[in-house]
Amino acid sequence: MFIYYLRLAMLSLRKNILLTSLMITAIGLGIGAAMTTITVNYLMSADPIPHKSDRLFYVQLDNWDPNSPYQEPNEPPDQVTWLEATNLMAAGKAFRQSAMGQSTLIVEPNRPEQKPFVTRVRMAYADFFPMFDVPFLYGSGWTANDDLDRRLVVVLSKATNDEVFGGVNSVGENLVMEGRSYQVVGVLDDWHPRPKFFDLSTGAFNLPEDLYVPYSLKESLELPSTGNNNCWQPVSEDTFQAFLQSECVNSQFWVEFEDPDDQYEYLAFLDNYVAEQKKLGRFPRETNNRLSNVMDWMENQEVVAEDARMMMYMALMFLIVCLLNTVALLLAKFIGRTGEIALRRAVGASRRTLFAQHLIEAGLIGAAGGLLGLILAWLGLKGINGLYGDQINGLTSLDPNMIALAIGLAVISTILAGLYPTWRACSVPPAGQLKTQ
Amino acid sequence: MNQIGPIFRALLRNKVGAFLLALQIALTMTIIVNAIHMIENRSSLMARPSGLDEANQFYLTSSGYRDDFNEQLVIEQDLRLLRQLPGVINATQINAIPLSGGGWSMGLRTAPGQDGLNTGVAIYFVDENGIEALDVELIAGNNFSTSEISYREANAVEWPQNAIITAATAKELFPDLEPAQTVGKTGYISGDEPLTIIGIIDQLQAPWNGWSGVERVMLVPQRTLFGSSRYFIRTEPGQRDRIMKEAEELLLRQDAGRLVRNVRTMTETREDSYRGHQALQTVLWITVVLLTIITALGIVGMVTFNVNRRRKQIGTRRALGASRGDIMGYFMIENFMVTSFGLLLGLGSSIALNIWLVDAFNLPRIGWHYLPIAMVILWLLGQLAVFGPARRAAGISPALATRTT
Amino acid sequence: MLKMNNISKVFRTDVVETHALRDFTLHVEEGDFVAVTGPSGSGKTTFLNVAGLLETFDDGDYLLDGQSVKGLSDSQLARLRNEKIGFIFQSFNLLPDLNLFDNVDVPLRYRRFNAAERKRRIEEALEVVGLASRMRHLPSQLSGGQQQRVAIARALAGQPRFLLADEPTGNLDTQMANSVMDLLEQINKEGTTVVMVTHDPLLAQRAQRNIFVRDGRVSEVTSNADASELLHKTAQVG
Ligand SMILES: Nc1ncnc2c1ncn2[C@@H]1O[C@H](COP(=O)(O)OP(=O)(O)OP(=O)(O)O)[C@@H](O)[C@H]1O
Ligand SMILES: [Mg+2]
Repeated sequence: MFIYYLRLAMLSLRKNILLTSLMITAIGLGIGAAMTTITVNYLMSADPIPHKSDRLFYVQLDNWDPNSPYQEPNEPPDQVTWLEATNLMAAGKAFRQSAMGQSTLIVEPNRPEQKPFVTRVRMAYADFFPMFDVPFLYGSGWTANDDLDRRLVVVLSKATNDEVFGGVNSVGENLVMEGRSYQVVGVLDDWHPRPKFFDLSTGAFNLPEDLYVPYSLKESLELPSTGNNNCWQPVSEDTFQAFLQSECVNSQFWVEFEDPDDQYEYLAFLDNYVAEQKKLGRFPRETNNRLSNVMDWMENQEVVAEDARMMMYMALMFLIVCLLNTVALLLAKFIGRTGEIALRRAVGASRRTLFAQHLIEAGLIGAAGGLLGLILAWLGLKGINGLYGDQINGLTSLDPNMIALAIGLAVISTILAGLYPTWRACSVPPAGQLKTQ
Repeated sequence: MNQIGPIFRALLRNKVGAFLLALQIALTMTIIVNAIHMIENRSSLMARPSGLDEANQFYLTSSGYRDDFNEQLVIEQDLRLLRQLPGVINATQINAIPLSGGGWSMGLRTAPGQDGLNTGVAIYFVDENGIEALDVELIAGNNFSTSEISYREANAVEWPQNAIITAATAKELFPDLEPAQTVGKTGYISGDEPLTIIGIIDQLQAPWNGWSGVERVMLVPQRTLFGSSRYFIRTEPGQRDRIMKEAEELLLRQDAGRLVRNVRTMTETREDSYRGHQALQTVLWITVVLLTIITALGIVGMVTFNVNRRRKQIGTRRALGASRGDIMGYFMIENFMVTSFGLLLGLGSSIALNIWLVDAFNLPRIGWHYLPIAMVILWLLGQLAVFGPARRAAGISPALATRTT
Repeated sequence: MLKMNNISKVFRTDVVETHALRDFTLHVEEGDFVAVTGPSGSGKTTFLNVAGLLETFDDGDYLLDGQSVKGLSDSQLARLRNEKIGFIFQSFNLLPDLNLFDNVDVPLRYRRFNAAERKRRIEEALEVVGLASRMRHLPSQLSGGQQQRVAIARALAGQPRFLLADEPTGNLDTQMANSVMDLLEQINKEGTTVVMVTHDPLLAQRAQRNIFVRDGRVSEVTSNADASELLHKTAQVG
C-alpha cells in the first residue's frame, strides 16, 4: 500500500513539475539558509573540551579603579596582572593551574636558505598541556622545574615543526630565537580547539599559537606582551619590572579541579588572597572574584558573535516564510483536488488512507527540499567562509549532527506544513463534492 | 474596480489560503525592511571617512632580531631612504595603523589628577612628516617641528610637551570651545603629565572601527624604539603598487639584522577592518533577494493554482459578459487585497522586530520612510507576480463554460 | 433576428480535424422558442456556442440582431454577450464562492449598473424563480433544480433578448425539468427569444420549432404550430 501511495504521490508531483520544484526550492532555500547560520552558531557555541569543560575554570580578580568598574555593571577585568599570575601559580592551590599570555619571537632557522620569521608565542606553565589535553606528536610538555628554573625550552606546533625541521622528530634539537638557543621538548599534533577558549582576548576563532615557552621567561627575557594590555593606573617607572609589578592586566589564569565542587574551596582561597592584598594597599574595590567554567566563560565573553546570531534569526524567519509558501501552495493544490478526493472516498478510500497518501506527498517534498537544503547549506558555508575569511576559522563545516538536523528539520517541517492542507483536503465529504463541481 | 465587494466576499470563503499568503507577505516585509535597515546602518558605518588618502598609502613592519640591530639608526636611515624614493610624497614612522584593530589608547583630562572626566583617545606616535604622510589637514595651530621629535623606549612613562589632536577630540575635551580655540590649551595624560595642544587636524580615525570614540585621535611627536616599528608611506596617485615593491626591496637590501613583513595597503586594511560588516551586508542582500523571489514565485504559484481550479468559473464569467480586462482585474484586485492585508500586518511586525533588534542588538531605530517604500515595492511585486497567471486566466475561452462539466 | 448562413466550424487538434458545423444555416425570429436536438457529437453545443458568441466560426455569416458579428473584438463580443444574451448551462455553472445574490449580480456588474439598479434587478429575478428568500445562501446549499433556477435568474436579470440553454434540464429529474421548462416558456411568452438544446424529445416538443442537427448540419426543421395543443398531447402520452 505504501508503494501505491508513493507512486500516486510521485505522479501528482510530476504532473505539476513547476510547482513541485517551486516548493522544493523554497524548502531547500529555507533549510539551506537556516542550516548555514545554525551551523555557524552551533560551532561558535560548541564545547571545545567536552569531557572536562565543567572542571576547567577561568579566574577573574577585581583589582580595578575604585571609581569605575572595568566594565558595567561591576564586571571584574577579563584578565589578571602579572602579580596575580605569579602569586596564584606559587600558591598552587588547584589540581592544575596555568597562567598564560601572548608574545612574539623571531625564529632564526639553522638552515641559511631559510629566512628568519616572526612567530606568535604562547607563554604558559607546564600544566597548560595536560590541563587542556594538548595532543603531542613527539615528546611532551616541559616540567614544573623548567618553569621554576626558567629554562629555555620550547614546544612547537605541528606547522612550525614542519616549517623549521621539515616535520621530523625535532625533540632535543635547538631552535634559535632572537639570539638565544631554545631546546625543543615537544611537537604538537594538529590542535585547533574551536573556540580558542583558553584565550578569547584576541579573536575567539584564531588558530592557536605557533610555539610555546615557559611564562617565567617573560620576566627574565623581558618578552613583550602582544595580547590585550589594560591599565587603570599609570605605570610608575619606565622599567620592565615596574610594568610587571603594575596594575595592568595582561595574563589569563586557568585552573583545573578534580571535582567541579572544588571551585568553592578555591573561591574561598581567592577571597582570602585578595584580603591579604588589600592589606598591602591593593584591590581598592570591593572583593569581586569570579570562577567561570569553560562554557560560562564563553558565554560571558559573548563568543557567539552578535552578527551570527542576528543572521540566524533572519534565516529562521526566512525558513518560516518558505514554509508558509509551501503550506499555501500545498493547500491550493490539495483543495484543487477535492473532486478527485471525493471520488476516491466514494469508491471506498477511508479518510486515513487518503491522509497517508497526501502526507507522503508532503513528506517527499520535504525530503527533496532537505537534500537540496543540505547542498545549499554546504555552499552557504563555503560562501560564509569566503566572506569572513580568517575571522571564522573552521566554523564552516557540516558535521553529522548538523546533517541529521537538516534532514530532520526539512522533513518534519514539511510534514507539519502538509498537515493542515491534508486535513482540509481529507475532510471533503464523499458525496457533496460530486454534485457542485 | 466595481468587483471589489464580491471579490472580498469570495476571498472570505477561502480565508486560510489568503491568510497564509498575507502572512508570508507580512514576514517578507518584516525581514526586508529590517535587513535593509541593517545594511544601511553598516553602510553608514563604513562610509565614515578615515581622514586618510587611502588609495595611495601603504605601510610595512620592520622588526629587528640581531644583536647588532641599532634601532634608532636604522629608523632614521630607513625614513630618509623611503622619502627619497621617487613617487613617495612622504613617510613617517607610526606605532599603529588606523582601522587595523590594534593600537594604543590613553585617557586625557583637562585638569591634572585622578578625578574628572577621562576622555579616551587613540595615540599615534609620528614625526613632523606625519601630517603629510597621513594626508590629514591641519585646520588650526602648527605642525610639530623637526627638533621636538624625541625617541620613546618600550617602557617609557613620560610624555613630550606638545600634541596635535583631532577636532572631535577637541570638542570632547572642551565642549564649549570651537576646535580652533583649543590651540594652546593643556591636556593631562597619565594623571598629571601635561600636554600642550599645538594643532588641530580635521579628521583621523582610531585603529578600532567599532569604538564609539573612533574619531578621537592624538598625534604625539615621538619615534618609538620598541624593537619593531611601522613605516607609513604616502605615494603619488597611481604609484603605490610599484613603490610598495621598491620600498620592500630597498629596506631588505640594507643588511640591518631585521625582518620586513606585513607590507599592506590601506585599501586592504579597510577591507579587513570592515570584512564582518561587508559579509553581513552580503548575506542580508542575498536573503532579501531570495526572499523576494520566493515570495513572488509563491504568488505566481498560488494564482496559477487558483486559475486552474477556477477555469470553468472564469469561462462562465466570460460567457456572462466579462471582458478579458475584467478577468485580469479580478485577479489583480484579489492580489491587491491580500497583499494589502499582509502589508498591514507587516507594518506592525516590522516595527515590532525593529524594537526587538534595538533592544537585543543595539541597532538604531528604523527610519519611518522604509515602511511606505517597502509597502509600495511589495505591492508592485505582487501585481507583477499575478500579471502572468492573470493574463493566462484572461485567455481562457468562454466556451469552457459549456465544454467542461 | 439571429441569422446564420453557411456557418462552418472546424476544430483542429494535432491529430484530427473535426468539422463540428458545416454549412450550418438557421434563422431564428424574435420571440421564437427553438429546441435543438440531435445525436451526441452532432454539433449542438458548438452551434449554441457560436450563436452565443462564446466561440468564433470559420466560414459563413452570422447576424445577431441585424449586426454582423464577424470581426468584432473580444471586448465587443463580451459586451454583446452581456447585454443581449443570457446563458443557461447544463451544470448550472454557479460560482461556488458567491451567494445567490452575488451570483445573479455577476453579469450586472459587468454591465456597470449602479448598485440600486443591480439590487432591484437581482431581487426581481430571484423573485421570478421563487428563490428570493434564499438570497444569502451558497449554491452548495441548494438542490440541483434550485441551482438551475438561480442560473435562470442570473440569465434573466440582465433582460437579454436571447436566452441560450444547453441541456438545461440534463442534470434534473422529470419533475424539476418540467418546472424549469415552465419557467422558460413563461420567459419566452414575455418576449425573450429562447434557443434550447435538449436530448428529451418530450421537452423539445413543447417548443414552437424543433431543429434536428446531424453531422454539423441542420437536417430537419419542424414547426409545432400550436404549442398549447402539443402540451395537451404530451399530457396524453404521459
Ligand atoms: N474544443 C474542441 N476541440 C476539438 N473538438 C471539439 C471541441 N469541442 C467539440 N469538439 C468536437 O466537435 C464535435 C461537436 O461537438 P459538440 O460538443 O458540439 O457536440 P454535441 O452535439 O453538443 O454533443 P452532446 O450531445 O454529446 O453534447 C464533436 O465531434 C466534438 O468532439
Ligand atoms: Mg453538447
